[in-house]
Amino acid sequence: MNIIHQHAELQFAQELEALIQNDSGIIPPNWKMSPQSVVKYLMGGKLKNGFEISPKYIGQKRLIEIAVATLTTDRALLLYGLPGTAKSWVSEHIAAAISGDSKLLIQGTAGTSEDSIRYGWNYAKLLSEGPTENALVSTPVMNAMKNGKIARIEELTRIPADVQDTLITILSEKTLPIPELNTEIQAIKGFNIIATANNRDKGVNDLSAALKRRFSTVILPVPSSTDEEVEIVKTRVATISKHLEIPTELPSLLEIQRIVKIFRELRSGSTDDGRTKLKSPSGSMSTAEVIEVVNSGMALSAHFGDGVMKAHDVASALTGAIIKDPIQDTVVWKEYLETVVKTREDWKDIYRACKEIA
Amino acid sequence: MPIHLLGIRHHGVGSAKNVLSRLKAIQPDIIFVEGPPEITDALKLIGQKELKPPVAIMLYDQSNPKSAIFYPFTTFSPEWVAAKFANKNNIPIRSLDLSAATSLHIKENAPDFFNIDNANSKNQKDPLSYLSDLAGFENSEKWWDFSFENNPTHFANAHFDAVFDAMSALRTNNISSILDNENSYREANMRQLIRIAQNEMYLNIAVICGAWHAPSLVDLDNTYKSDTKLLKSLPKSKIKVACTWIPWTNDRLSMQSGYGAGIASPGWYRHLWKNEEDIDIKWLSKVAKLFRKNKMDITAAHVIDALKLSRNLADIRDKSEAGLEELNDAILSTMCMGDEIKLKLIEKELIIANKIGKVPDDIPKVPLQADFEQIIKSLRLGLTESNKQLDLDLRKENDLKKSVLFHRLEILQITWANRIDNRTKGTFKESWIIRWNPTMMIQLIDLSYLGNTIEAATNAVIIKRIKEANRTKELTDLINLMIPSELNSLIPNALIELENIAAVSYDITDLMESSYPLVDLSRYGNVRKSDLTILNTIVEHLFIKIYINLPNICYGLDEENAYKLFALISKVNDGIRLIDQPAFYENWYQTLQKINNQTQIHKAIQGCVCRLLFDAQQFTESEAANHFSFALSVNNEPTHVALWIDGFLYNSGMIIIYDSRLWNLLYKWVESLEYEIFIEQLPFLRRAFSKFEYAERKQIGQKAKNGLIQEKEHIYNEIDDFDNENANLMLKRILEIAIKSN
Repeated sequence: MNIIHQHAELQFAQELEALIQNDSGIIPPNWKMSPQSVVKYLMGGKLKNGFEISPKYIGQKRLIEIAVATLTTDRALLLYGLPGTAKSWVSEHIAAAISGDSKLLIQGTAGTSEDSIRYGWNYAKLLSEGPTENALVSTPVMNAMKNGKIARIEELTRIPADVQDTLITILSEKTLPIPELNTEIQAIKGFNIIATANNRDKGVNDLSAALKRRFSTVILPVPSSTDEEVEIVKTRVATISKHLEIPTELPSLLEIQRIVKIFRELRSGSTDDGRTKLKSPSGSMSTAEVIEVVNSGMALSAHFGDGVMKAHDVASALTGAIIKDPIQDTVVWKEYLETVVKTREDWKDIYRACKEIA
Repeated sequence: MPIHLLGIRHHGVGSAKNVLSRLKAIQPDIIFVEGPPEITDALKLIGQKELKPPVAIMLYDQSNPKSAIFYPFTTFSPEWVAAKFANKNNIPIRSLDLSAATSLHIKENAPDFFNIDNANSKNQKDPLSYLSDLAGFENSEKWWDFSFENNPTHFANAHFDAVFDAMSALRTNNISSILDNENSYREANMRQLIRIAQNEMYLNIAVICGAWHAPSLVDLDNTYKSDTKLLKSLPKSKIKVACTWIPWTNDRLSMQSGYGAGIASPGWYRHLWKNEEDIDIKWLSKVAKLFRKNKMDITAAHVIDALKLSRNLADIRDKSEAGLEELNDAILSTMCMGDEIKLKLIEKELIIANKIGKVPDDIPKVPLQADFEQIIKSLRLGLTESNKQLDLDLRKENDLKKSVLFHRLEILQITWANRIDNRTKGTFKESWIIRWNPTMMIQLIDLSYLGNTIEAATNAVIIKRIKEANRTKELTDLINLMIPSELNSLIPNALIELENIAAVSYDITDLMESSYPLVDLSRYGNVRKSDLTILNTIVEHLFIKIYINLPNICYGLDEENAYKLFALISKVNDGIRLIDQPAFYENWYQTLQKINNQTQIHKAIQGCVCRLLFDAQQFTESEAANHFSFALSVNNEPTHVALWIDGFLYNSGMIIIYDSRLWNLLYKWVESLEYEIFIEQLPFLRRAFSKFEYAERKQIGQKAKNGLIQEKEHIYNEIDDFDNENANLMLKRILEIAIKSN
């Protein structure tokens, strides 16, 4: 298998299959499994026949329940949160569990046009045949409507506001009119949309009131405890390194705990014990960044070190992840190094390693 | 002889609904509810219009009201529902439990009697949790909610049978509770009370009690002997128990009370109690209304979406109906864009929905409470829950009385009225903001052991604090509280105590701290029409001690303490000036002179003293010049000079702007400093100057630019200033004096 990122429905095909077979709940039309099973797929747990489902989302079960329940209603789901809080990850897995298909994806950018949400035209055919169904270019949203599946829109708030509003009719009437052909696509049961948006970036296009009303919002928070975050990093690093085939040992729990601690302290602006106030860096200090740091540390140690991740393997990635603004963040990081890292007895190695780079 | 045992959870809405339905069906000829027999009479008032829940029955030891038990009730308390039903249908109502006299006696005198092992209580499992664990619930509360609080009322009979069976199952399996020992006494007495009713030929008895007790009340025949024996072993109580109704609040329902049960979301429970069907829809429309009132656009479509989501959530969570949890989650997601802050509004306004109960006027009250109510009635003060500002003019009798009341309540630490700064500076004006909170009444009742009137209670607090005081400052603070509270009878006590402490005190700083407030008092007392002649003697004594001891304590001080003393000296100086009597002045300035002339005293203090003397014109011109030049002479340690300057200029730079001689001395001194030494001294100087106003600093800067001031010999030209007009004025004065002396 040469693919870097396997789609969820393929990667966890076995689990999905087991869940479908053991499902005893009521299955909404065109869903692959009952809402309870979707929640189980995300949160992990044991099935009645003893089959172990791995947790995909580590955090409050409540939030996943709200998210899944929303998709059984008229409203679409908006996952909101800081960058790196597993929004896309959750959306992919929910879509995979509900529709068995997480591929109906639109990447929202400032350049996303109405054509890529509703439908476009194959202009060669349009010119030769005129407006016919044959000349129509379908979009993931249109496909999802036709097949009763979940469509995903990433970074909804980056899409220009007027383009966003094309979703209103789709979400309220569940219809996509095609006036050129004097016809329409009517969504089949099971259709819905999961959108993600982050609330950190400036200059985003806020949703119009009309569109807001078509979404139920779930805010995915940053992990509430160190243990939870360490757990997330551990699981993710393990799967990613398997995929990337990095020839190295998995990093020790202590090393991960240390990196998580650095991130949490900088993020919250105070040390773990609450004694020292810290400045926070300008960039996002999410769990996703922690995972990146550990991954690149592992890669460094595998290819240029002895295969065991050490402080100096992590240092450069750590510095890079924290210093996003060369002036402000350098100050923040240096202060942190001198006032916190230096004083911790068993952190000498990482202090020296980071000092060398800085 | 059927006994219907209706096991409930205190404040459980489902329990209350089922109790009502069951009582209607069985039409008992007597109803028992859990509670000490002493509350029986109070229960008879339930159902009267003037008694509005939430209210509580307060049982207290008449000789020691601080020792009290509270039984709170609200509209949906099963006991309230049962009593209301009984009173409406003229069915006798009684309460059953151990007598409050006994419980209070044990609480006060034999706290170990029931052998409750509090240390161990954390390890002991809640008996109901055996069942909730089996059923797979997080805790026994949730299990109870799920199993018993949502039962439809037309199966009330089956409901209570189920409760009874569940509890018997636990009890026959000897599952223990930490309260077992206490419960055995309580249940013995409950059985005893039922037997009495049976002997009175009541045949159809309904008993509403905590679910746990129900199974123990079945067997009345075989337990008679052992019960009598057990109850005899209880300690004899001589406590006279008084019983009254007091207003309660929703948020205090969750407080530890007589039956140790509370609830977290009274508003939600009231909603459940009031509505039979469409509970979720009605709740959501309440929420929508609240949001709209707070300028949030919530349409009917939002409500529909929230309803759907909450019901689907309930499905996912395997619940038959959406509860508060699901509704909150749905509201959060559909109406609040995931923003939890908006949910807080619902929590405050709807879920907790704090309400105050009301109690009829003619109910016997604790004397202190009665006195308080009588006072506010006579002053026409209402107990409102919103802020209200009162501007009092102390020259008016009623306003003065209000002020006195507020000050007294402050001493009792009841924060109904809070003093705020008045814009006008007159001593006749006071502004207060009053805001009532029903817990204050409970606080007041708690305090009733202090005395029967507000005045007596305040006196008691003051006496206690006078006795406890061991510094004069504490006493002056107390006197400062007593005068506006018109507790004048105690002022001599406080003053005598103050004398006593001052006499043996070596803590001169403490005396200095109290001197200014005391001086201030003598002035303030006049406004308040208090007699303070004794005060003057004490102030005099105080100052004598200060004169004698002050020079001695100026030695060997470190920086921090020197500056503290520095501040105190200025404060005492203010006091002296306020008294404005020559005798005080003379001694004080002599003391200051002494300090000024001694060496080895911290230079900041010396600077300060020098300034005070200078301001009071205690130096002749040449003396002043000598002092300045001595202090600023180049041979002094530069640090000392800087400190001296700091002390001397302590809060005003004006003097160096206008006194050119001083300016020149200062200028020359700075000029004489070597570069390194100047840098060293900079922080001290900077500190000294930093306290000045911006304008002052600017002027000084300007002046520094110009360097030394060439002193011109000022020729005073008398003719210039003395013109005809002035001359005429003077002549007139002279004439007047001449006439008078004749």
